Amino acid sequence: MPKKYHIHTSSVQNRLPKIIKSGVIAWEEGCLKCARCVKKECVYKVYEKRGLDGESMVDSTDTMCMDCFRCVQNCPNRLIQKGINPLYRDMGDEYWTPDIISNIWFQAETGRIPVSGAGYGGPFSGPGFDSMWTDMSEIVRPTRDGIHGREYISTTVDIGRKPMYLEFGDDGSLLTPIPPLVEIPLPVIFDLLPFSPPGDNIPQSLIAGARSINTYVIMKWSYLKEKGISPLQNIIPFLDGNTDDIEEGVIKSIPIIEIPDRGEPVSVQNRLNEINPQLVVMIRVELAPGIEEKACDLTKKGAHTLHLCADEFGNEQAEKPLFIKDRVRSVHGTLVEKGIRDQVTLLASGGIAMAEHMAKLIICGADCVAVDIPLLVAMECRICRRCKEGLSCPAKLETVEPQWGGKRITNLMGGWHNQLLEVLGAMGMREVRRLRGEMGRAMFFEDLEREVFSNLGQRGQG
Amino acid sequence: METKEERQGLNFYFFFCQRIDKEQEKNRRTIEKSMGDKVRLFPIPCSGRIEPIHILRALEKGADKVYVLTCREGLCRYREGNLRAKKRVSYAQKLMEEIGLEKERVELINLKKENGMTIDTLVEDLVGKKTNIGSSPLNKPLL
Repeated sequence: MPKKYHIHTSSVQNRLPKIIKSGVIAWEEGCLKCARCVKKECVYKVYEKRGLDGESMVDSTDTMCMDCFRCVQNCPNRLIQKGINPLYRDMGDEYWTPDIISNIWFQAETGRIPVSGAGYGGPFSGPGFDSMWTDMSEIVRPTRDGIHGREYISTTVDIGRKPMYLEFGDDGSLLTPIPPLVEIPLPVIFDLLPFSPPGDNIPQSLIAGARSINTYVIMKWSYLKEKGISPLQNIIPFLDGNTDDIEEGVIKSIPIIEIPDRGEPVSVQNRLNEINPQLVVMIRVELAPGIEEKACDLTKKGAHTLHLCADEFGNEQAEKPLFIKDRVRSVHGTLVEKGIRDQVTLLASGGIAMAEHMAKLIICGADCVAVDIPLLVAMECRICRRCKEGLSCPAKLETVEPQWGGKRITNLMGGWHNQLLEVLGAMGMREVRRLRGEMGRAMFFEDLEREVFSNLGQRGQG
Repeated sequence: METKEERQGLNFYFFFCQRIDKEQEKNRRTIEKSMGDKVRLFPIPCSGRIEPIHILRALEKGADKVYVLTCREGLCRYREGNLRAKKRVSYAQKLMEEIGLEKERVELINLKKENGMTIDTLVEDLVGKKTNIGSSPLNKPLL
């Protein structure tokens, strides 16, 4: 039995005061000077440990309060009130909501799965990934068995092309050439960041994180070359410039490389494979309407791996864009129809914000996902995108210690790994490869709505 | 009287009620782009949240002038937040005078309009306004 894959997590403190949902608004004037003041009775000692961070002007009451509302309810003169913290409200955007951001912070800090406690209070359907429900019908035993190692659930996936059958010679020797394949223990690769403050600390943190959980990080070759980063262990160079602008020695030393979808990508792939036959080549393809034909075409020509990229919000490039899960589902379905799905590996990225998104995208047909923004958020990014405009980063991301950043990313991935194990355990599955394309184990709101309501209001035939 | 150049060299800290401009995160960027670190903006859940320590810490951290922007009197969501802010600011001014700082270094602005105010125009107006104060003695190197 192979060694069990486990991500070791440990508590990694925040660098900055945490931004929480509500802010305390307390009037000092009018205090009745009660002998038993609610402030003294705070179970979290929020008022006793009070201080003000001079840099961000954030009061410690706003970072330590756990929203139990005991002080608000019990002050006899009603002097304490709570309001939404404007810094919290303004984080992120409609897709990357403050709740998602604080959820990622929690996982990066503790390495634990966020548990809401008193049930789910939100709506049961919504846009994007929220319109998809997964089947948890196998919850007949503790779903945490996988997490605690009482049963082994494999999260290993293979990146590369797979032969559909093997041919043997008369003497029993293998005739089929075996294409290169790289195994990664978690169906997650770190993608190029859509925005990031300048400096080398963030890329170094990503490399540290990737090495610690034994996955890969995609980085622009122009950057790697300029900085002279070597060895390229756990790094997938993306040939952003001329595809010939890379030395043979480098090609021979790496297991995976990514190339853009320009010109004839499969011939570039073949050229690279001539230099290093063991090299897995990923083709980075932007998601757009009609991408299904392109995916079929590239697969038939012999592409190893297709990296299907959506934008930061999970949308494809179109006037009326389809969401990533729908387009990946369509690409997967088309490849299945043509009978060529198993030959190619599909990697999907864009808009993956939570562990459940990873599982849902795999159900929709991706073999593996690539994450980007959550890695920045693990290092306390607030997704304000000020760095894009050349403004200063409120979280001073450019100054993160790579070791600290790597540990935060490891913690986040540890949390995601455990959540994937929970999903697989609850579905009664023993490995993530089995989850790919298992659309029968999920329900899609749009489909259900169509099935149930499309006939309403129509006269019966005959 | 300070010149325009001197005024541009001053550091301004703004504490403001989040209800003044709900789009503050977007609107503040234009002013931050043009003025850089000279202007620091701190939204607060209610202007009544301000306490003398905020003002004094701002001066300690390099502010030459601190503004506290509140909603119009009578329009506070928490009923008396802006009235509380007024008291806190005058208390802070008293403390400042005791240590020899001009009380004009902190100013409470009670906005007259009910809505339609954006933080960038407010900040631009206030930074452009003539004041009698120069650089804070706290920012000058010790001899």
